[in-house]
Amino acid sequence: MEINEAFVQKLADEVIKQLSSSEHSNQAQAQAGWMAPKRDYSGYKQAVKGMDPKEVVIGVGPAFQREIGATICGLDLKEVIKNIRAGIEEEGMVPRVVKILKTSDVCFMALEAAKLSGSGIGVGVQSKGTTVIHQKDLYPLSNLELFPQAPLMTLEMYRAIGKNAAKYVKGEPVTPISAVNDPMVRPKYQVKAALMHIKETEQVDQEVPIIEWEG
Amino acid sequence: MRSKRIEILDQRPVNKDGFINEWPEMGFSAMSSPYDPQPSVKVVDGVITEMDGKKREEFDFLDQFIADYGINIDKAESAMAVSALEIARMIVDINVSRKEILDLVSGITPAKMVEVINYLNVVELMMGMQKMRARKVPGNQAHITNLKDDPVQLAADAAEGALRGFSEEETTMAIARYAPLSATALLIGSQVGRSGVLTQCSAEEATELELGIRGLTTYAETLSVYGTEQVFTDGDDTPYSKAFLTSAYASRGLKVRFTSGSGSEVLMGMAEKKSMLYLECRCLYVTKGAGAQGTQNGSVSCIGIPGSVPGGIREVMGENLVASLLGLECASSNDQSFSNSDMRRTARTMLQFMPGTDFIFSGYAAEPNYDNVFAGSNFDAEDFDDYNVLQRDMQVDGGLKPVSEDEVIRVRCKAGKAVQAAFKALGLAEITDEQIEAVTYAHGSKDTLNRDSAADIMAAEDLMKKGITGIDVVKALAENGFKDIADHILNMLKQRVVGDYMQTAAILDKDFRVMSGVNTPNDYQGPGTGYRVEGERWEEIKAIPHIIDPNDF
Repeated sequence: MEINEAFVQKLADEVIKQLSSSEHSNQAQAQAGWMAPKRDYSGYKQAVKGMDPKEVVIGVGPAFQREIGATICGLDLKEVIKNIRAGIEEEGMVPRVVKILKTSDVCFMALEAAKLSGSGIGVGVQSKGTTVIHQKDLYPLSNLELFPQAPLMTLEMYRAIGKNAAKYVKGEPVTPISAVNDPMVRPKYQVKAALMHIKETEQVDQEVPIIEWEG
Repeated sequence: MRSKRIEILDQRPVNKDGFINEWPEMGFSAMSSPYDPQPSVKVVDGVITEMDGKKREEFDFLDQFIADYGINIDKAESAMAVSALEIARMIVDINVSRKEILDLVSGITPAKMVEVINYLNVVELMMGMQKMRARKVPGNQAHITNLKDDPVQLAADAAEGALRGFSEEETTMAIARYAPLSATALLIGSQVGRSGVLTQCSAEEATELELGIRGLTTYAETLSVYGTEQVFTDGDDTPYSKAFLTSAYASRGLKVRFTSGSGSEVLMGMAEKKSMLYLECRCLYVTKGAGAQGTQNGSVSCIGIPGSVPGGIREVMGENLVASLLGLECASSNDQSFSNSDMRRTARTMLQFMPGTDFIFSGYAAEPNYDNVFAGSNFDAEDFDDYNVLQRDMQVDGGLKPVSEDEVIRVRCKAGKAVQAAFKALGLAEITDEQIEAVTYAHGSKDTLNRDSAADIMAAEDLMKKGITGIDVVKALAENGFKDIADHILNMLKQRVVGDYMQTAAILDKDFRVMSGVNTPNDYQGPGTGYRVEGERWEEIKAIPHIIDPNDF
């Protein structure tokens, strides 16, 4: 929770800083349209379609582990990836992580990952923690499993997501991960979610291909 | 040293809510932004060549769609010549009829609409809604969902919700692939509680359309539109594709409404520095232009965003009024948890409750909020009695009524049994008597038995593969002891052939008679006119439980 508080405080500070600067000069006002400058991803290795039928591709969002280091509830993104990978490996499948820069929409992210995946199963993870398990031949806004309430996610759930993604590859009947729900998530987190998503969306660059991601 | 009073205040629920200062560059401004355009229009040879400061060649696809289909071009120049202040005054003037306002407003642009709404305070917005709502009698809609996607509980909650007075019921799923099973359970359960209730299943658009075409739902609502081009294209859509989808539903005789609401563009990081009200006006003009009879709006699932900025809740009511000013049916949100403070969440709902809208809630959680898979509604099953008392206190028709425990138990049990029989006959998932019993007496999914969700999902896939339709459901019920429910569902399917319920703001009474903005229009024009709560309906509202009996003393 400390990470969470610290992160939120940092975001809030950023907002206040930009708000107050926008009151003072026109130049600063123009800059207030940005939370962080766009990062250059040239030189990264372009991701290609996998051939391994055991492969599950995890597609992460544009700001992942760069502009944003932890999910909305403060989980370190490195740990998030570690747990999804572990879940996939425990079921005998092979994980691969890529970064998707052309969209910040989690469904499209997951679908891109699924299309790259040797098995056709992919997992999309936004930097704020929202996650989807997708399959390459489904409609973009459809999915195998969706975890919309990022503030309620735990590392154990990310591990279970990895396991279930792997089970879909194996063609076993999969029991979906039990839904969790907190009706008060919205008043508490929606503004934070917006700020994090704005930060992620700022890094979107439609011209940049999907890249291999080591973290 | 800290002030003990401030310490107490800091701990109040309202201080758990998220607030932020206005930040127009990121779209965090409710009613107006310094970057909003100035209203203008130019018409040449019957074509709008300039709108809100932009020349036609600078239009994005929303501007173009609105200019071509959302505005009454013949009226545009004359309507734009009337000042925004004058239009605002006409809206609250009881001597000006709803029809005159609709006629005038049909010619104004989105930026002008923003200007008009900015002249109205919340009481005036409510006065406007009282006059501009499409249907004479207000209505209410329920969310019917549970965390386990349990079809038996869906049917029971649908039956109870229908009994309590909801005219429409909407479901969605924790696991999307349950959709066909959920739609079917909702359809059956609703008709057990009260014949004539409309049902829908919020799902991915192609799935939702197929469920509608098959007759497993009786209306559609989740056709989402957005106020900026970027958000639209991010969702793989355009106003034209939405118009096409609308006509796909219309071709099969299904009632359709769109969904939009302020804050979505902010949440997606693509607000183009415009105010929430301006972007929502664009959505509503697209909705009208696409030929949809109505909208679900009022921020909806993004309510935390307008709720976080100054004037945000005024803006939400403002956008509801814009929908009604454009002649659209307005299902006015209140459907998403909004505040940790009971005071704040109630106050927010009063803006729609007091004047009455076509649907005050576009999803009142008819289950406990922990089971609400839309992530929580502003009111839930535990608020039923509070809501009924509010209706009684103020002599306001909020669309619900008090019910007896006996009736609740009876309809819940019957709904469970009907779904059990139908699923058995259709070769879907097995439902045991123990499950029905648990659901009958349950408050929520914490009180029910677990189901085999892998098997249920297979049954849902089977239902689609076998091509099961509404008629198959009718047959299954009719041949297995539920002829009355079969008749009700058959009557719902007939509506699609007749088509009258596709008219603006249509609902059905228990005898399947349509009540819409066309055959029962809102005729409010000041005291002594319009809908008044009286007669049988007033008696119904008065009859709350826990009344003191003087004979007891």
